[in-house]
Amino acid sequence: MAGSRLETVGSVFTRTRDLIRAGVLKEKPLWFDIYNAFPPLRDPVFRRPRLRYGKAKSPTQDIFYREDQIRAKFYSAYGSGPKAFDLFNPNFKSTCERFVEKYIELQKLGETDEEKLFVEAGKALLAEGVILRRLEKARTQQEGSQVSRKSEPMGVESQTALEENPPLKEVPQPQDLEAPGEESKGLSPP
Amino acid sequence: MASGAVLPRLLGSGVRAAPRGRAAPRGRTLGSAAAAAAPEPERDSDFSARILSEPLKHSDFFNVKELFSVRSLFNARVHLGHKAGCRHRFMEPYIFGSRLGQDIIDLEQTATHLQLALNFTAHVAYRGGIILFVSRARQFSHLIENTARSCGEYAHTRYFKGGLLTNAPLLLGPQVRLPDLIIFLHTLNNVFEPHVAVRDAAKMNIPTVGIVDTNCNPCLITYPVPGNDDSPPAVQLFCRLFQTAVTRAKEKRRQLEALYRLQGAPGPHPANPASPGVQAGLGLGVAP
Repeated sequence: MAGSRLETVGSVFTRTRDLIRAGVLKEKPLWFDIYNAFPPLRDPVFRRPRLRYGKAKSPTQDIFYREDQIRAKFYSAYGSGPKAFDLFNPNFKSTCERFVEKYIELQKLGETDEEKLFVEAGKALLAEGVILRRLEKARTQQEGSQVSRKSEPMGVESQTALEENPPLKEVPQPQDLEAPGEESKGLSPP
Repeated sequence: MASGAVLPRLLGSGVRAAPRGRAAPRGRTLGSAAAAAAPEPERDSDFSARILSEPLKHSDFFNVKELFSVRSLFNARVHLGHKAGCRHRFMEPYIFGSRLGQDIIDLEQTATHLQLALNFTAHVAYRGGIILFVSRARQFSHLIENTARSCGEYAHTRYFKGGLLTNAPLLLGPQVRLPDLIIFLHTLNNVFEPHVAVRDAAKMNIPTVGIVDTNCNPCLITYPVPGNDDSPPAVQLFCRLFQTAVTRAKEKRRQLEALYRLQGAPGPHPANPASPGVQAGLGLGVAP
């Protein structure tokens, strides 16, 4: 039976169609009419994967929500909550999730000050019976990089500059306001 | 070895299914159906043409849309992709975004692609095409083989010998009928390279349906379905969907042929109670 084995040239359909038109392939294959009636969204043509060079970046966006800022503050203050995460349950609400819901409710009621909202949400959860224990040392990404910086020999200064830049880019806006404060607190004690 | 035993036994049966004007009935039911269905030339070709062309006029003849929903895909964790570093460049159009470094597949697009893929599979099964399920993930090889067995089709989840498709007459014997559709539950093999069968199917002009994860190359696959191929719930969902589509299509075919037999032939073959009964009985027996 005649056929064309050039998988890099066109799609399966175009090759078969042209072979039939030329009279080389006598019998229409089973799938031909079905493909004709219901073609795929994209022609299955071979493409060579090319690498991206220089500053070209992929167009995929990061997914962030407004609630992520609240979550970040919660985790830095309280660590992961008192309750373990039950991933088997699709409708599971973690402590952080409940905190975020309270926070948003209070925000809708008209409060604007973030510190106040944070404290009020904590109090509301306490009223419901959830006890939140503050971490001994408030944990942030900046803290993490600082600890590693101190453990290295002080001569390696270029690396510290590199370490600082990535955390600052990833961390959302409110964290940036907190970070310089944290930095001075971290440097002064020892 | 399993692969050596499975393929010749099953593909070899294609030899008995002598292709006539239309696609031959399934190898398994061949015994009774072939004996009963001696063709009356004109009416036969007229009806057979109708049987084949009628389904193509409806956009969703087998109603595959009702088998799944975006919510059911979400619950089966189909939207979870690999980390952003593993992303394949050609999968970017199908990715909704990246959550804390993990790619999330756009389920709206997955739903459209899946509907096209299931529809195509159903039509191929309706016309008596041979479907081959291919995967190289050892975690799911048993599930996929059972899926294939339950819908009366074929599976190859072991080491894929080079030349199995391209040099079939030598490896499988002369006059072997190759698959009319290959369904990939996993497009990559165990070393994270594209499965050889993707390229070989394109070479042999065999259409393919494939679940492509964020680290796969969807170019050569005729009907790619962007989705998670690593989580058990996702693979189980896909197996179930393909099995249902194939079974439905075959059942529909049996029904339409029985209908034709009851309507059509008052002459030499009066509505033979044996054959529709046998066919219906087989249908009821095989369908889950």
